[in-house]
Amino acid sequence: MTHILSLLVVIPIAGLIPLWAFRSDERAAKQVAITTTAVELAVSLWMLTQFRVGDPGFQLKEQVGWLPSLGISYFVGVDGISVLLVPMTTLLTFVAVLYSCGGSIKTRIPEYLTAFLLLEIGMVGVFIALDLFLFYVFFELMLIPMYLIIGIWGGPRRIYATLKFVLFTLAGSLIMLVGIVAVYLASADASGTRTLALPELLDIRGRFSGDFQFWVFLAFALAFAIKLPMVPFHTWLPDAHVEAPTAGSVVLAGVLLKAGGYGFLRFALPLFPIGVQAWLPVLILLSVVAILYGAIVSAVQKDLKKLVAYSSVAHMGFVTLGIFILNLQGGVGAVLQMLNHGFVTGALFLFVGIQYEKTHRRMIADLGGLANMWPLYTTFFGVFMLASLGLPGLNGFVGEFLVLLGTFRFPGVPLGGLFWGPLAAIGVILAAVYLLWMFQRVMYGPVRDAYRALPDLSGLELACAVPLLLLTVLLGVFPQPFIAIIEPSVDQVIRLATDPSFMVAVTK
Amino acid sequence: MKDVQAVAPEIIVTVVAMLILVADAMLGRRRAATLLPLITVAGLLIALASTLAGAPAGRYFHGFVNVDAFATFFRAVFILLAIFAALVSPEYLARRRVPAGEYYAIICFSTVGAMTIALSADLITLFVGLETMTIPIYVLAGIQRSDRYANEAALKYFLLGAFSSALLLYGFVWLYGIAGSTDFTAIATVLAAQGIATGPTIVALALVTVGLGFKAAVVPFHQWTPDAYDGAPTPATAFMSVGPKAAAFAAILRVLVGALGPLGADWAAVLAVLAAVTMTGGNIVALVQTNTKRMLAYSSIAHTGYILAAVAAAKAGPSAGAAVLFYLFAYGLMNLGAFACLLYLDLEGTRGATLDELNGFARRAPLGALAFAVFLISLTGIPPTIGFVAKFVVIQPVLDAGLAWLAVVIALNAVLAAFYYLRVVVHMYMYEPEGALPPVVGARGLSASLGIASLAVLVLGIVPNSLYEWAKAAALPLVR
Repeated sequence: MTHILSLLVVIPIAGLIPLWAFRSDERAAKQVAITTTAVELAVSLWMLTQFRVGDPGFQLKEQVGWLPSLGISYFVGVDGISVLLVPMTTLLTFVAVLYSCGGSIKTRIPEYLTAFLLLEIGMVGVFIALDLFLFYVFFELMLIPMYLIIGIWGGPRRIYATLKFVLFTLAGSLIMLVGIVAVYLASADASGTRTLALPELLDIRGRFSGDFQFWVFLAFALAFAIKLPMVPFHTWLPDAHVEAPTAGSVVLAGVLLKAGGYGFLRFALPLFPIGVQAWLPVLILLSVVAILYGAIVSAVQKDLKKLVAYSSVAHMGFVTLGIFILNLQGGVGAVLQMLNHGFVTGALFLFVGIQYEKTHRRMIADLGGLANMWPLYTTFFGVFMLASLGLPGLNGFVGEFLVLLGTFRFPGVPLGGLFWGPLAAIGVILAAVYLLWMFQRVMYGPVRDAYRALPDLSGLELACAVPLLLLTVLLGVFPQPFIAIIEPSVDQVIRLATDPSFMVAVTK
Repeated sequence: MKDVQAVAPEIIVTVVAMLILVADAMLGRRRAATLLPLITVAGLLIALASTLAGAPAGRYFHGFVNVDAFATFFRAVFILLAIFAALVSPEYLARRRVPAGEYYAIICFSTVGAMTIALSADLITLFVGLETMTIPIYVLAGIQRSDRYANEAALKYFLLGAFSSALLLYGFVWLYGIAGSTDFTAIATVLAAQGIATGPTIVALALVTVGLGFKAAVVPFHQWTPDAYDGAPTPATAFMSVGPKAAAFAAILRVLVGALGPLGADWAAVLAVLAAVTMTGGNIVALVQTNTKRMLAYSSIAHTGYILAAVAAAKAGPSAGAAVLFYLFAYGLMNLGAFACLLYLDLEGTRGATLDELNGFARRAPLGALAFAVFLISLTGIPPTIGFVAKFVVIQPVLDAGLAWLAVVIALNAVLAAFYYLRVVVHMYMYEPEGALPPVVGARGLSASLGIASLAVLVLGIVPNSLYEWAKAAALPLVR
């Protein structure tokens, strides 16, 4: 029995102690935070090497009684779905902290870094928790640090944005809490023993009646749909992203949104097959609407950061579409799309931030001709932009292609894959439209005099961008090793979600 | 002798209270200011030790007193709250020239009353305890004699409190008329034999519910609360908002679940509706408050609603009682802490800080603001705090009793509450300290006790098991 996963939870906590000790020394605080997140990244990569590819079940499990009188335990483990999301989280956190230490944050730096380490505990924890109670704790633990990051170090409308973010998310997660308690009560066996551990819940899910699944799935789905966010719960996202500091946006888009998609795959789908079937039409409709609506709204944005934010809505639409068409291609595509979106959109937010630090402008109309001065910046930004629009050879293509492939095979009635597939494909085309148009307006054309003296990427900014670029290319060219990790676990989840013994209950 | 031994903690607290009065008269003003809190805390700690060492469980004083796990839990909670209240007060009392001797003595006397409620096995013991607890609190509300609002608060509280006591007593009379006894067990036996509720039992039930509803500040019997809390000196408010409330719930559990248990089907539905109305009403009014003290007053009404929801779920078995007890402990810790955080600001009269006066508080008093933020997050019910575990253990019996709608109402109310709690955090952390701000008081005793309390909020939020076990064991005697 190893303790790698617990180590991942403990390292950021341990980092808080020296950070507290150096709270009046900004330089030392920065070093502590960078070291902590770097160690965390290294341990998460080590964890990846310990993972046995091809085994669909949970690995590296650890279980300790936590609230034994309530049957709740500290239970962590990873499978193919989560094992890649953890290093993604630690990498993006490392990049975010590294970038923040470069001077983009000017006030209350030790507090800022404290918030990031707290955030990292929550983010890593969400992906490894296998007990619903523990999952909820980590899910909520992400909330307060992000609330502070947006609210203290954000833009001019930060307070409105951060309260909106918190209230939306909290509304969803508290409803989910009721759902979790309902699952807990329903898990009672003849002797009254109850549990919230996922593997045990999967064994006894036959006890969940159709009605129960219908409502409890809704409770879970609301929380995840708000976090993800799905249309029409997305309105907090543009506000939060625009007001958040750059590093906050990177982590918010890169990791926090994934908690929603991951929650669907990990808990809502396998636990409530009847609930999924009942809500499937609505969820697929909302996913496709998100893809098209996100793309169209992105196209008309005047603010660069808001454009990237709305493009997130469209991309996450692909994630939910991939999840809810309930087949292997779709599921694998959705997980890949989550990873891709983490790297690519994280990078896009990073580059919008870098650009804003230099020019202090974010309106697309105020920019232009940046390619003339910043060749390096333009190359990086261009690659990420192309990955975002799904160019073959880069990672965005792989995820979206698999999702579309799965969608065409979706057998739903009355409207099947041949209806939804082309609609979603239009979204890919629209993405090309708004992204290329944006790139053209920002990078080409006449350059403003005021920008002529501004420097290209600094060494630090390069250090932040290179790992993301490498992964973008790697995932695009060699997706197979990653798919091999993801596939067995997704296959198992899809099997659980489409278990024929439950389908009978639906038609009855 | 065994009887006296059984109520040793109560005797110790009474002796402490009298000792304080004597010491106050003998010591000079300056020495009293430092020594009185020490005497109070030391005496209460001895009482706590004797509570936990405890006399064997059983009935004493010819059945009027019932020492069981339930009584022990509540005694410990009341003493802890009194200690906490005594620790945060000294600086304020010195600053505002509140007579310290009377203040500490009142807290101790009130605590004796609360403890008496916890160990009551009879309507008479309970009523005596209730009055012993409440009358000192009336005085406490008006202890700043020269302040207009304090006078108003005390008078309002007294009139409504006396009125509700009368209603409650009248309800007890009806109960006696029905059962021919004032003993809880005897009443329960008669009611169980009677089966369905008849006219007189309904009258008794209604009167008792309304009377106890007043004491616990259940909407629509809450009108005294905001004014009384607002007008009382802030450390007194901190104590008033938790001690008497916990005592009121001890009474509710003893009377409704204990004596009137056989009528559960009748009162549970009413309480469920009252709980929903209470939490929603308290939260909605709290939303529009700009003064934090008044906001916390309304929010404490909302918390009454959450606790009442667990009482309404009594048919879920021991988990309901455990939820009430656990929530009361959590609520006492975090609500007293939140009110006490207002003591950092030196304001005239009994006023609490407005939201604008808290602007940039995190820069002016980093640790005070951090503690306040922890208490507020806990009150919201966000992990890893005790407030979250409390919400979890409350929702559980509520769902178990088939009150799914009430569980959803609790969840939605927590979102409403998040708005105004987090708005305070916004003002403390996200605004710059600008304009005319009240001076921040450097108070070491206050900081130390708030530091310990906020740490406890976090630690008990992360490892709540033993506390929950204790609450569960304490709730067991209620279920028959």
